[in-house]
Amino acid sequence: MANSALFAHSLQDWIGIGPLWVWAAVSAVVILYAIALPFAGIATYVERKVSADMQDRFGPNRVGPFGILQFIADFVKMLAKQDFIPQGADRILFSLAPILVLAGACAAFAVLPLSKYFLGADMNIGILYALAVTTLIAPGLLLGSWASQNKWSLLGGLRAAAQIISYEIPVALSIFPAILISGTLQIGQIVETQGWVWSAQAGTDYHFWNAFHNPFCFLAMFLLFVGGLAETNRIPFDLPEAESELVSGFSTEFSGMRFGLYALAEFVDIFVMSSIVVALYLGGWQLPFINIDQLSDSIPTLLVAFIQLGCFLVKVFMLVFVVMWLRWTLPRLRVDQLMAACWKGLVPLALVNLLGTAVWMWAFNGRSIAQLVLGPMVN
Amino acid sequence: MTTGLKIVLLLAELLCVSSAILVTFHPNILHAAVALLFAFLGVAVMFVYAGADFIAGVQVIVYVGGVTVLVLFAVMLTHWLYKVTLRDVRKKLIVPIVLLVILLVPAVYKSLVELASSSQNIAPERVAEFAGSAKTALIGQALLGNYLLPFEAITILLLGALVGAVGLARPK
Repeated sequence: MANSALFAHSLQDWIGIGPLWVWAAVSAVVILYAIALPFAGIATYVERKVSADMQDRFGPNRVGPFGILQFIADFVKMLAKQDFIPQGADRILFSLAPILVLAGACAAFAVLPLSKYFLGADMNIGILYALAVTTLIAPGLLLGSWASQNKWSLLGGLRAAAQIISYEIPVALSIFPAILISGTLQIGQIVETQGWVWSAQAGTDYHFWNAFHNPFCFLAMFLLFVGGLAETNRIPFDLPEAESELVSGFSTEFSGMRFGLYALAEFVDIFVMSSIVVALYLGGWQLPFINIDQLSDSIPTLLVAFIQLGCFLVKVFMLVFVVMWLRWTLPRLRVDQLMAACWKGLVPLALVNLLGTAVWMWAFNGRSIAQLVLGPMVN
Repeated sequence: MTTGLKIVLLLAELLCVSSAILVTFHPNILHAAVALLFAFLGVAVMFVYAGADFIAGVQVIVYVGGVTVLVLFAVMLTHWLYKVTLRDVRKKLIVPIVLLVILLVPAVYKSLVELASSSQNIAPERVAEFAGSAKTALIGQALLGNYLLPFEAITILLLGALVGAVGLARPK
């Protein structure tokens, strides 16, 4: 992939001056402040509206039109609250924990393929990097819960860590089928291979979203989504903050902006999780049935970039909506059910998927269902 | 390497060394475990600079996401452990200092000699070439090609450990 694909390079090209590392830093800040934080804010509003609709209520409707400014009001309220550290708490770890959690969630933004032209860093080990930085969340939650010196917090933190570590395995195993098909860990290339036309001799073959490559991949997408749901501690996997048992779990003692960081990290994590599902299995920035790369000859690149960004965000928001929808549909699992679901359900299924995809790739020489049914495309 | 990259490397090395010192001397075992986390992160950054980005990713997943969390778990579940202050009453300094000198002096000497002999080990264009090459694929080919037998042997060892863990954890 050309270097100009990276966001920092694009910025440098458009503006034309300044060393690259300045633009890299700028792009990190832009991605964080233009996408991650507004998304988290609006997601809290949407979540409240969606839940209100599902329960036949109005939801926030006082601040601004349709209550849309509610999240800004919440944010200001959180900033204005007293920054309270309980007596007997471990002050250093108490301050460090929310930062670790948010840093882990935000760092993954570097490799999210928002568009072919808006990529923080299309690194060689892209998807592995995303897995790696998000592991910072587990120690963060654990430390925060311990530092609170509160038994509810500690129980919540222990649950969170156990849950995240256990579900890491089916998540990783469900990522592998996509890697087998695309033959690379580089997220930009994984999305590229899911385009309408992509092969060594362009125009002779077609590929489509990895989810529809073979039946195993279709299942793997759902496993990845469910595993991701558990890793973000969302219902039905929200045992770490089960409010009926643990007050508020790991975040019980946190107030003001520290609590805000936890809430922010949760929504950023949901965005990251949904983005990974979209990038690996739902075609990332690719528009279905339209080859956007051919259009880029006739329309300006910047427009193509924004069309791709739109495609990606629409897909991600649909998944985020599913996450919210599940929250008001499913009851919470018990701890033993949670572990049984992971080790007896998801892990064996993920292994079968991995093996199945490998056998499929070997038996059909890497061809997808569409290619087998429709034959090679004649251009 | 550009100056910016050198500064980042220096910061990572500082983080690594200072965290390692904290791990060794901090009396609170939990704080030592947290320092260990940062030491692991520093090592991951150094792997990136050595051109081993795959190993860096694995380092973070295994050591930060796995080992550190396990250490924290163990400390938190054994409640008497985090009240203990780890401080050796009898200071034993002679043997460690001798060991330190034996290990450190050759390393420092060698790096100084190399610094003096060549200004840069890897030319900047080689660095770019290094970063761009698909090393992950090479690792896979090596594991399933040249080194298939040791790879399989390790797999069997790990499988044995897994079965053993399940056996230990099984209710009586």
